[in-house]
Amino acid sequence: MATKFSLAELMAVASSRQIQDGEIAFIGTGLPMLGAMLAKALHAPNAILIYEAGIVDARPKRTPVSIGDGCLVPGAAMCCGLTEALGTILQRGWVDVGFLGAAQINKYGDINTSVIGDYYHPKVRLPGSGGGNDIGSLAKRTVIMMAQDKRKFVEQVDYITTPGWLGPPGTREAAGLPRGGPAKVITNLGIYAFDENREIYLESHHPGISIEKIKQNVSWEIAISPDVRETEPPTDEELHLLREQFDPQGIFLGGRE
Amino acid sequence: MHRIRKVSSKIMSEREAVETFVVDGIRLRSGGIGLRKPFALINETIRQRRKNITFILSGFTEDGDVMVGAGVASQLEGSYFGLEALGLAHNYRRAYEQGIPLKIKIEEYSNYGMTARFMAAAMGVPFMPVKSHLGSDLVRYHAFREKKAHLMEDPFSGEKVMLLPACPVDVAFVHAQRCDEDGNVQIWGPIGDDEWGARAAQQVVVEVEEIVDSEIVRRDPNRTILPSFMVSAIVIAPYGSHPYQCQGYYDLDLEYRKMYAEVTRTREGFERYLEDWVYGPGSHQGYLEKLGKDRLDRLRAKPYMSDPVNYGY
Repeated sequence: MATKFSLAELMAVASSRQIQDGEIAFIGTGLPMLGAMLAKALHAPNAILIYEAGIVDARPKRTPVSIGDGCLVPGAAMCCGLTEALGTILQRGWVDVGFLGAAQINKYGDINTSVIGDYYHPKVRLPGSGGGNDIGSLAKRTVIMMAQDKRKFVEQVDYITTPGWLGPPGTREAAGLPRGGPAKVITNLGIYAFDENREIYLESHHPGISIEKIKQNVSWEIAISPDVRETEPPTDEELHLLREQFDPQGIFLGGRE
Repeated sequence: MHRIRKVSSKIMSEREAVETFVVDGIRLRSGGIGLRKPFALINETIRQRRKNITFILSGFTEDGDVMVGAGVASQLEGSYFGLEALGLAHNYRRAYEQGIPLKIKIEEYSNYGMTARFMAAAMGVPFMPVKSHLGSDLVRYHAFREKKAHLMEDPFSGEKVMLLPACPVDVAFVHAQRCDEDGNVQIWGPIGDDEWGARAAQQVVVEVEEIVDSEIVRRDPNRTILPSFMVSAIVIAPYGSHPYQCQGYYDLDLEYRKMYAEVTRTREGFERYLEDWVYGPGSHQGYLEKLGKDRLDRLRAKPYMSDPVNYGY
């Protein structure tokens, strides 16, 4: 149990624990790719993994580099296209949990992956929605994975690429979104959930990360759970699988912020 | 543009295909999500120095980045513009943030938004209602489309839906595993948005790993995504999707993708890249020779054969 681990490894493991056995999970690029493999290998063997480019119920043997990686195909139950995966599976309401990345987030879990700064003259032009807006709009719940600092946890995001709760209870529904909303936010500092007012609060802080440090990395006064605890560290088995089998080249674990 | 119907004239070199079908200013669709990117045709389009292209897809990666960096694409219409696990796309950033080599405009939707728009165009209807985009800034900001989306209440139930306009495409590139001489195109593995994206187009230019006997296609018609009459030109381009995969033919070349992500950090690096890997080789054949047989052999896919099925009745 005393094995040392990186925060990227902890995030990958935390994402894996968000997938329950038997759930239908929509997997995006990045650490959730590792998390999904880990979940399938350990506690959620009956989870159904869906990759956006059109791979349904994949049993990946190698960690995919993209959501359309051909290594996902051998052993998959169905191959189709983006339209079918996003339309007939996600929009139709089959997906239990979807994963999202974010460059900025506000307290309602609305996220920005499009621009930092003015939309037409940004400081940084980011990749944009991809399937993010669809997943955030249409999965039954979402898990957001991101690096955290004061410029990323902001009162107002520069652009709402993907709706979270959008405001107090009723706001998301009033926009016409049929279901869903963010359930968890996993950062390099802690794990967050949303309260009955749809506002984010700290649920657990990662080992070695103080609550004080977390407060310093949110640009508003972050709510802290009365039951706040330390994030459960990765097990030796999880670390072994991550390092030896799923990302031996360090594609996801090596280069993370 | 007139559809070319003469069957015997469909097979041509990538040079001829781009000369014939890709003219300045058109709406051109790239292909492949995560694999089967039509790089043989994209690199040739750059070599022929086309201008003012509106380049269209849902998930752009190196395909959109290289077309922007080379000054070919001045507008992008799509949903994602990055290098996936390899980080941000540098040409795209330089163009949008600093106008290098030129200022580009981006009309962005989500992945589903784009593919629903392709589907509408492919079906000949003017728009598609979707349940994403609602409540987001995707519909608040627009770039070059006069009307990007329209929020309405379903006249039957009163439920809010977002209407997205059909996505017209002049020419679609597709990288496919195979087709026959007539242009009946077969793909397997993830389809991405190629099926609807190609069917949305006025003209489809397909690059294939190989041309097979029509009997082979007709013994397995479920695998066909485009019937011959939708296809205008066929380019035989083995490894044409490199550095991306083609299911059953070759794996991705991760080293190449890492190299691209690294050298494009600077404009000078990218210009060198264009010289080394696009202009210099002169053709797809030249590009393959530069990569070398050993490298290509190492990427070759391992066999993972499906069992034949009985199509009898």
